[in-house]
Amino acid sequence: MTPEWLHPGLVLIMGAWILPFLKGGLKKFGMLAIPAAAMFLCFTMSEGTYGEVSFLGQELVFGRVDKLSLIFSYVFSLMAFLGMVFALHVDDDTQHISALGYAGGALGVTFAGDLLSLYVFWEFMAVTSALLVWLRREPEAERAAFRYFLVHVFGGLVLLAGILLHGHAAGSFAFEHFGTSGGVAWALILTAFLLNAAVPPLGAWLPDAYPQASVTGAVFMTAFTTKSAVYVLIRGFAGTEFLIWLGAFMAIYGVVYAVLENDARRLLAYHIISQVGYMVCGVGIGTALAINGATAHAFAHILYKALLFMGAGAVIQMTGKHKLSEMGGLYKTMPITLGLYMIGAFAISAVPLFSGFVSKSMVVSAAGEDYRQWIFLTLTLASAGTFLHTGLKLPYYMFFGKDTGAKGAEPPKNMLAAMAIAAVACTVIGVAPSLLYEHLPNALEYHPYTLAHVTATMGMLGFTALGFFILLKHLDPEPKISLDTDWFYRRASGPFMRLLQGPLTRLEYGFIGQLYEAVIRAPIMGMAKAMRILDSDFINEAGESLARSTRNLSETMKARVGGHAQHYGLIMAFGLFLFILWAVTLR
Amino acid sequence: MSFIERILEDPERFKRLKIGFYCTLVLIAAAEVVLPIVFHDDEAHAHHFDFEGWPAFGSAYGFISCVVIILVSKLIGKLWLMRKEDHYDS
Repeated sequence: MTPEWLHPGLVLIMGAWILPFLKGGLKKFGMLAIPAAAMFLCFTMSEGTYGEVSFLGQELVFGRVDKLSLIFSYVFSLMAFLGMVFALHVDDDTQHISALGYAGGALGVTFAGDLLSLYVFWEFMAVTSALLVWLRREPEAERAAFRYFLVHVFGGLVLLAGILLHGHAAGSFAFEHFGTSGGVAWALILTAFLLNAAVPPLGAWLPDAYPQASVTGAVFMTAFTTKSAVYVLIRGFAGTEFLIWLGAFMAIYGVVYAVLENDARRLLAYHIISQVGYMVCGVGIGTALAINGATAHAFAHILYKALLFMGAGAVIQMTGKHKLSEMGGLYKTMPITLGLYMIGAFAISAVPLFSGFVSKSMVVSAAGEDYRQWIFLTLTLASAGTFLHTGLKLPYYMFFGKDTGAKGAEPPKNMLAAMAIAAVACTVIGVAPSLLYEHLPNALEYHPYTLAHVTATMGMLGFTALGFFILLKHLDPEPKISLDTDWFYRRASGPFMRLLQGPLTRLEYGFIGQLYEAVIRAPIMGMAKAMRILDSDFINEAGESLARSTRNLSETMKARVGGHAQHYGLIMAFGLFLFILWAVTLR
Repeated sequence: MSFIERILEDPERFKRLKIGFYCTLVLIAAAEVVLPIVFHDDEAHAHHFDFEGWPAFGSAYGFISCVVIILVSKLIGKLWLMRKEDHYDS
């Protein structure tokens, strides 16, 4: 690695290990200084290729810095900082190390110019993020973490297989565009990327695990895994037609589940799927505007989704409840949290003057420019659904609605501070979109604030609210859960296991076991027995008889040799003396 | 946020809030119809499809979307997806 370039991901991953050695105020300083240093490195970095290493005959590139990787690195490092501010009160070094390592892994993926280093950081993210779930240290969370980890290990193996096949065929592990269609390697790599982007049916790990993570850990998780997957999709698969349909389906899929959901953070998790749908759709459309849209939306999404998870996390931490059906009336005790949460809600709902409005509309406009009316209508419908759930349903049942007696209070100051910074970011991007637009990968003009766009959006949002209040009684959250594709590995694995334990086990023991017994085990045992007999009867006997004869010999000698040992000694010494005297005088 | 509490817990003020909400909706829908005409905003480049030019399309589509999402999702949930909370524990 060249000395003039320091990998910001490495700063996070290695820097985190200083934290256990610090105490009190110094530790808090370190928790903020490490991500701040990474942020400084990202924001001052200039385009180019850095950190080229030759390893086992392969060229690894740790620092491919261009406009696309830069903008993702800005938001990833900013998010690492925000997350640490939010977690400042938590006294758990393992969580901090995992969280910083996770963010560092995301930066590693962002700057990776070759598939091998990409793979290493990819797996590193899987391990560190699974720890964030596991470290809530509840049996339920540990089980969810284990499922999460297995799914991502599977995804990682699919990626590795794809990378190896691709590298073998292409003769290079450079991470470039894979083309819009291809063979097995292409499909394997795409599948692994889509798994991390939580595209259904591969996305059930997300709403399964995120609500089980610790309050602060979940905030980190919302940012890195899915958005780094969006980044690699843009890099490798832009313009792949079927991603358009997959993305649009995804946007609706998340919305449908959010209607049914009762767990506050799981509702938000389903809206991550919905929002990432816009990005995947943008990747599929693949035009300059669509790619800018996917990038801008990823940027805005990380900030407002973190803010929403912080708000919901604050409520969960302060009330101890996580189901909407057990909350209500909290606006009286948590007004600041409510206010900051609502800024995030406006941002995700694409209310004018907030960040979602200037980013989401780029993807929708790109669908329009491409004359894809069904995609346009689907994405707009999903927008209404987003406002319905994140902007209306969740705050209504959490902060207003029926007071169920859940006692709340404002969270610690550092949590409010993190939320405030995120809220400011969401608003600044919404008010001055050029600040974001100038860093987008493709240089082109886009104006979100046209009269038609603003009035149509306000109309859509206003009448979504009307629909919400008319149908309010149908929306009361029910204490139920909804089946998702994790059913296949959580429930359908039951019959599979019974098949394994029943017929397959009998087959194993009854047939293969017997066969093994007859063909392999019995002959080996027979031979071993023969060897043992040989050993005990022959070799041992030989040894023993040798020992016996030696003993007999020494017994005989003992009987023959008598007298006093000191006399023999003296005589020997005298003899030796004479010998030396003779040898000396002779010379 | 005692001002919210005052509004929500006083039936008289709450009624005024509701009326205000409906008036705003009417204004929004009217703005969507009238403003483009008033400002001669023939943003042909912004309209990719004919239906975007229909009067108050955003408002109508927003309302329809909301109702369809709630009803269809609930239907799917009731018929198929929703289970007891201990579904995976048993």
